[in-house]
Amino acid sequence: MTFRQFAYRNVVRNRRIYAAFFLASVFSVMVFFLYSMLMFHPGIGEQFITGITLIGMTTADIILYVFMLFFLFYSMRAFMQARSGEFALLLQLGMERRQLGKLLLLEMLLLGATSTASGIVLGFTFSKYFFMIVRELLQLSALPLYVSWEPFLMTAGAFFSLFLLIGLLSAYIVANRDISEFKKGIGGEANPFGYSPGRAAAGILLLLSSYGAALLAGRVNVLYLSVLLPPAATLGTYYFFSHSVLYLLDLFRDRKSLYWKRSRLVSLAETAAKLRDNANMFFIVAIVSTVAFLSVGTLASLATYTAQYRALNPLGLVYESFPGNPHEYEHVTGLMKELQTAGLEYTHVPLTVAREESSFSGQPINILREGEVNRLAETLGAGPVNLRPGEAVFLPYSKEAAPRLKDADIRTELEESGVDVHVKGVVGGLLLPAYSLGTNSIVVSETDFVKVASVQPGNLLRIHAFDVPDWEETVGIGLAIEQAMVMSEIQQGEALPFYYKNPGLDYSIIRSTFHLLLLTGLLVAMVFLLAAGSFIYFKLYTMLDRDRRQAAVLKRLGMTEREFIKIVNRQLIPQFFLPWGIAMLHSTFAFISLQAIWKEFADISILNEMALVLVGFTVIQLLYFYLIRWRYLAHVKGPA
Amino acid sequence: MPIVSIEDVIKIYEGKVTHRALDRLSFDVEEGEFLAVMGPSGSGKTTLLNLISGIDMPTSGRVLIKGTDPATLRPDDLARFRRRELGFVFQDFNLLRMLTVEENIVLPLTLDRLPVEEMDARVKAITARLGLGGILHKRPDEISGGQEQRVAIARALVHRPSIVLADEPTGNLDSNAAREVLDLLGTINRENRTTFIMVTHDPIAASYCDRVLFIKDGAYYNEIHKDDRRRTFFQRILNMLSLLGGNVDDLSSVRLP
Ligand SMILES: Nc1ncnc2c1ncn2[C@@H]1O[C@H](COP(=O)(O)OP(=O)(O)OP(=O)(O)O)[C@@H](O)[C@H]1O
Ligand SMILES: [Mg+2]
Repeated sequence: MTFRQFAYRNVVRNRRIYAAFFLASVFSVMVFFLYSMLMFHPGIGEQFITGITLIGMTTADIILYVFMLFFLFYSMRAFMQARSGEFALLLQLGMERRQLGKLLLLEMLLLGATSTASGIVLGFTFSKYFFMIVRELLQLSALPLYVSWEPFLMTAGAFFSLFLLIGLLSAYIVANRDISEFKKGIGGEANPFGYSPGRAAAGILLLLSSYGAALLAGRVNVLYLSVLLPPAATLGTYYFFSHSVLYLLDLFRDRKSLYWKRSRLVSLAETAAKLRDNANMFFIVAIVSTVAFLSVGTLASLATYTAQYRALNPLGLVYESFPGNPHEYEHVTGLMKELQTAGLEYTHVPLTVAREESSFSGQPINILREGEVNRLAETLGAGPVNLRPGEAVFLPYSKEAAPRLKDADIRTELEESGVDVHVKGVVGGLLLPAYSLGTNSIVVSETDFVKVASVQPGNLLRIHAFDVPDWEETVGIGLAIEQAMVMSEIQQGEALPFYYKNPGLDYSIIRSTFHLLLLTGLLVAMVFLLAAGSFIYFKLYTMLDRDRRQAAVLKRLGMTEREFIKIVNRQLIPQFFLPWGIAMLHSTFAFISLQAIWKEFADISILNEMALVLVGFTVIQLLYFYLIRWRYLAHVKGPA
Repeated sequence: MPIVSIEDVIKIYEGKVTHRALDRLSFDVEEGEFLAVMGPSGSGKTTLLNLISGIDMPTSGRVLIKGTDPATLRPDDLARFRRRELGFVFQDFNLLRMLTVEENIVLPLTLDRLPVEEMDARVKAITARLGLGGILHKRPDEISGGQEQRVAIARALVHRPSIVLADEPTGNLDSNAAREVLDLLGTINRENRTTFIMVTHDPIAASYCDRVLFIKDGAYYNEIHKDDRRRTFFQRILNMLSLLGGNVDDLSSVRLP
């Protein structure tokens, strides 16, 4: 039997221990591959790979990679721990350390090759459905399956390097251990109640003070918080898992009346042992899940931007024609035709705008005509204005501006035409968004407007406002005009005599970008949770022999089935829900502070989205918990 | 009425090759009796103990303990029966690694909701008798194999069961420690009328018992009863073992203390 055959047989024989490890790897490869497929998709590239999405998706890829590194490393360690008896035996039988290291490396490479291949095959099989889901989410007309070598190469390269790294590391570890260390078991079963009281207290204090500070966010300097809080909370979390939890359990252990009761004796000690054994992994899972929850929550909250966007952009399409624009007629009729072809209802309201200097402020000011503004107001469902000659009202450029302008009372002379107006009050509601006219506009009476316009007939601006009830459907309207604008911007030629804005199109891009990022965040968070669960399962699996014998002892001592299941529950629940619960707590407090900070910038409430995200993850976690408990119970009670 | 009776028990392990581990075995154990079970390795001794404790069910035949057949009990009742009536010492893997010695010993008591003072008192009493007082707060990894075995014995006795099943309880002990433990078991047997069924390969240990049952290939082979003198009892055990075909040459030179 050659050495390579031996390595191969070792994997096949240890397949049950390997299985969980393998499955988790396959799953991660699959997700990574699906991502890469999406990232390299030609359709996505054309439409969406804007700067943000590209950065977002690349970051996700890197995070996934680093997390996989940790995951594989801890899995490998647990795996070696489970097999340390076998290693000790092989070494005692005279196998060289170098050979043992080589064996491990070969095993890891074999495992890596198969799981990478299976993951890619699975990923490719599912990519059609994945694209269908993405298409729905991003509301694309089509997102066809495609074949190109980049995603394959990227996934294979990434994971091959990972497994090689892990294999080399395990070979190195094995070559530098004594036989006696193997006999004890790598990382052995250290005292389940060993902890440092100082650090235990520090962990709790750090966490509590971080939470306290998070609650004060908005009142305290945001900068201080964002620099100090994350490291403090991270260190606190680390101490919490490696010391505080054990300390709290130990407090319990001192109370014999509570501890020496039914199955508690076993379940508490078992919980402590498992928590201690996996403290590092739990710490990483908690921190990474927090980051995932936060990014998903934040992204989800950006989706609430819709309502805001609509409020800022009350019009379907806006076409502005500057003086001397030869394309005005052609463009406007073109837009109308396109709207008709698309079967979209619309109302077209042309507005004439004059520009003059105001004697009051010395600034240029837009002057609009009462009749036209009233038509627009009627279309958008706002109240009309009623002006006598010499009167004028402000046209607010945003919702926030309206109340401020409302109380203004200004007398001014329009310098060029010499018309005196008394500006008092505002037009009800937001009619024209800020980008179309700037911030300084008034509406004057018909008589005054005729006077103003007659002074500079060749210098009038025309705005064609289109109200389209189905404003989200206008994505394809006016593409030619849009293109002309983009071209002129690229070529940096002279300014075009027109300006076109299609909020529906902009919105669809913003929306898709958010959704793509959201999707990315969700997938990454899913991988974290599943990998964490797989790791727990994997750990359970590697300890199965010991657990099975322990179960046999307990059975003989007269433990009932129900008590045994209780013990299993009590040791599984903290493993599943403690890191997760801490991550939830962290993200809740982080969101409270984020909410406070958000309020400063925009009035976006992220409460609902966050609740939804947290509930969603809870459900997934619960399902996963029951699945793994079911498998574990079957294995522990079943025959060896 | 015998406290344990084995009636025509057959145990067949199904597997790649079906194996008949016990073959039409019958015998009784009286209350308060100290029975040793001997036989070559693989003869079915551990299997027998598993059947008595209801961990395994016989393929055919019947096991009666205090008149009830464990096979007919519901799982919860069986568990309750075990925790009250039976004490165990296993051949291997006795102690839970993450519990201290004290916690391992008190385990059977906690299952039965005794008051803490009572549990404390019982643990103190039994550990004093077994000389474990100094290591109560150590963990199994920190004590010797012999100490571990004594802890297992303490755990088997702490809830005062009526039957104690022991698989090689002195296997890891030197002859002095073994003698002490066997003396202690004998005392408990006499004082509390606790019934002992002890599997052993050690003829000296067997010579402490009232009766030695020999099985071979899962079937009843022979039995011998204690007589007035330990030395002749021991010699008869040795003779029987050599008939059985076990390797006892190295034991024939052993002098009984
Ligand atoms: N779970 C099992 N499945 C299949 N065969 C088994 C099983 N347990 C025991 N056996 C077989 O039954 C026979 C009796 O085993 P048992 O453990 O009772 O032997 P023993 O008398 O206790 O031996 P030893 O003195 O070495 O402990 C052996 O041949 C063994 O291989
Ligand atoms: Mg045996």
